[in-house]
Amino acid sequence: MAVTVVLVADDDADIRDLVAFKLEQSGLEVIAVEDGQAALEQAKAHRPTLAVLDVSMPGLSGIDVCRMLRAEPATAGMLIIMLTARVQEQDVEGGFSAGADDYVTKPFSPRELVSRIQALLSRARA
Amino acid sequence: MRRDPTVGRLLTRSFAVLVALIVCSGVAEMTTVLVQHRVVRELSTHVQPLELANARLRAVLGDAQRGLRGYLLTGDGQVLDTYLVARSEYTQASLNLQGLATAAEEPAVEAQLARADVWWALAEQQRRAPPRSDDAADYVTEGKLLFQAFVSENEAFDRALARRVATLQRRSSWLGGATVVMVLVLTLVAAAAAGIMALVTTRRITRPLGGVVRVLDERGAGRLDARADTGRGPTEIRAVAAAVNAMADERERIRAAERDVARLRSEVRELGYRIRAHLRVRDAIGEAIRGLAGTMNADHVLVRMAPGQTDVPQHASLGDEHVDGRLAALAACDVGWLSGGDVWTTDDAAPAGDVQPPEAEIRACAEVGAEAVLTVAVSVGEECLGALTLLRDHGPAFTPVDVRLVEVVAADLGRGVHLARLYEREQHLVARLQELDTAKTDFMSTVSHELRTPLTSISGYVELLLDAEAGELNAPQGKMLDVIGRNTRRLRDLIEEMLILSKIESGAFSTSREPVDLASLVEHAVEVIAPAAAKAEVTLHIAVDGPLPLHADPDQLDRVLMNLLANAVKFTSGGGEVRVTAHRDGTEIVLVVADTGMGIPAAEQKALFTRFFRASNAVRQAVPGTGLGLAIVSTVVDNHDGHIEVQSTEGAGTTFTIRLPAA
Repeated sequence: MAVTVVLVADDDADIRDLVAFKLEQSGLEVIAVEDGQAALEQAKAHRPTLAVLDVSMPGLSGIDVCRMLRAEPATAGMLIIMLTARVQEQDVEGGFSAGADDYVTKPFSPRELVSRIQALLSRARA
Repeated sequence: MRRDPTVGRLLTRSFAVLVALIVCSGVAEMTTVLVQHRVVRELSTHVQPLELANARLRAVLGDAQRGLRGYLLTGDGQVLDTYLVARSEYTQASLNLQGLATAAEEPAVEAQLARADVWWALAEQQRRAPPRSDDAADYVTEGKLLFQAFVSENEAFDRALARRVATLQRRSSWLGGATVVMVLVLTLVAAAAAGIMALVTTRRITRPLGGVVRVLDERGAGRLDARADTGRGPTEIRAVAAAVNAMADERERIRAAERDVARLRSEVRELGYRIRAHLRVRDAIGEAIRGLAGTMNADHVLVRMAPGQTDVPQHASLGDEHVDGRLAALAACDVGWLSGGDVWTTDDAAPAGDVQPPEAEIRACAEVGAEAVLTVAVSVGEECLGALTLLRDHGPAFTPVDVRLVEVVAADLGRGVHLARLYEREQHLVARLQELDTAKTDFMSTVSHELRTPLTSISGYVELLLDAEAGELNAPQGKMLDVIGRNTRRLRDLIEEMLILSKIESGAFSTSREPVDLASLVEHAVEVIAPAAAKAEVTLHIAVDGPLPLHADPDQLDRVLMNLLANAVKFTSGGGEVRVTAHRDGTEIVLVVADTGMGIPAAEQKALFTRFFRASNAVRQAVPGTGLGLAIVSTVVDNHDGHIEVQSTEGAGTTFTIRLPAA
């Protein structure tokens, strides 16, 4: 069975490492990037199955990246989970309208993130 | 030319005619009386004495004739004495008769006396004749004839006198009758004339007068255009009619003037409303200037603001807000000499206030060259905000009514400026508050983001460590990491609730009210809390008498329910109970959450809803909490015009009762 590749984009290195570590521990292959531009490039280059995007990143925000991925036929089918530090409803709605499959509010439990990812993956496979 | 009849002339004529008739009647009567008087006098003083004298003469002559005849027949000397006595008396009697006779009677008297004298001459011859002789007898016969002649003359005269008496008496009686008839006729004529004149006068006076009275009645009944006819009736009535008409015209003029004043008043009132409706000082002043120029017929209207009123234009005049050259000097004059309610006008006749403007102001007014200038203080209470100046280039002077009306506008302008300024300040304040609120929201958002990111790292790595992802931990390490984890959660809760409270307090949710059924909200909250209650071995009792309609923000109410239920479960030890009841009580929906938990010390209950307050027994027993939950509950209830109260006994339990207005 092929290894599932997950793209993780967060400008905060600690969180990036935390997520990457936890996902790798869970048997996923992780490509970690620190901004939206890099996320877009890596997504095109490696076609990951799933992307974990932080909403607030300098330059392209997670929502922008999400929208662009959805707009590109090659990456339109990618699973996307947004990480948001805000609880404002408009942020969540913005994320969904941009095409995110799920969102997780900071501070989040790494366990919960992994279970959400696995839920999405199993749903996608089914 | 026909002279106008007057009541006076009419009456004068009538009375003149009456008086003439009465005088005629009097004269007639007087004449009659006089004539009768003369008749009586003639009878008594002339005719009757004449008759007596005539009779006397006859008697004397008779005596003489009888005496002489007796003597001649008897020769008795004694009888002759009778004759002699008569003879001596005759002279007197004849003189008497002659004296009484008038020229008209003279011939008759003289003829009689001539007869007498003839007899007397014969009588003297007889007397000398011897008595009882033949001569004597002849003499007697002759004497008898002469005597008969005398007697016939005498009787003729007596008859003439008797006729005279009859004539006089007849005339007198006729005159009396004629007078009675004449007086009667005159009286009747006078009565008829008086009646006719009364009728004519009445018609001439009362009819036109009645017309005037009718006009007055009509005016009294409201027909104000009624006018009396000045072309009818005597001069006096016409004068009265003219006076009535003049009064009506004057009344009409006064009414027109009053209408004008009333119209002005209403215009001024409207202007006042318009002025006060403006929310900008500049607009209020512009409205006052435009309105006053039109209403008060002013050629220029100048508004100057007192020094220190820098937030409004210093002056403005009619047309636009530029002050033209002529007004520049006046516009530059300071209005510090005015205080609240002051009035000054150039017209000496107008009721000038007790203020006297400084020389510069008077000079500037003179420079403008306007005939009439009126300056009224624009004030609020005692504070003078500025001055309102009206100028009429060619008069007329400002009347007391003008002054009063301008004062009204000035008062409205004062209030308008004051309100507009308050409004502007308030707007400014609101804008500033909104800025602050936005800044606060931004700040909270930024802070929450900035805090959450490091918290994510801390809690995430603690979780990894506790999950032994980085290798097994020994017991003390696990315990220490538990502490870190617990405090991280506490910090996270604190941030969440501060955010929520900040949002609720700023009213961010207040616009999202909708019809809500509290019963279903309670059900949902109970479902959510049930696992935690089961875990803590706390029994939940629910008694909801739905539906319970509210007009509220469901998220906020949900938070209230969650906070109250979570608190109740949290502060109640195993085996305890939490009872949730909700029902309708008249116009209110009542929610009660009661527990059998640790309770709140009585002294601390007052501070229960203040932020970051935590009951001392809860802190002592290290029950986790942020101290914000009840503050949030209380704020939400306040936002919904509700009321919350708490009853608690330490160690026995706590009951929260919330009352919210039903939808």
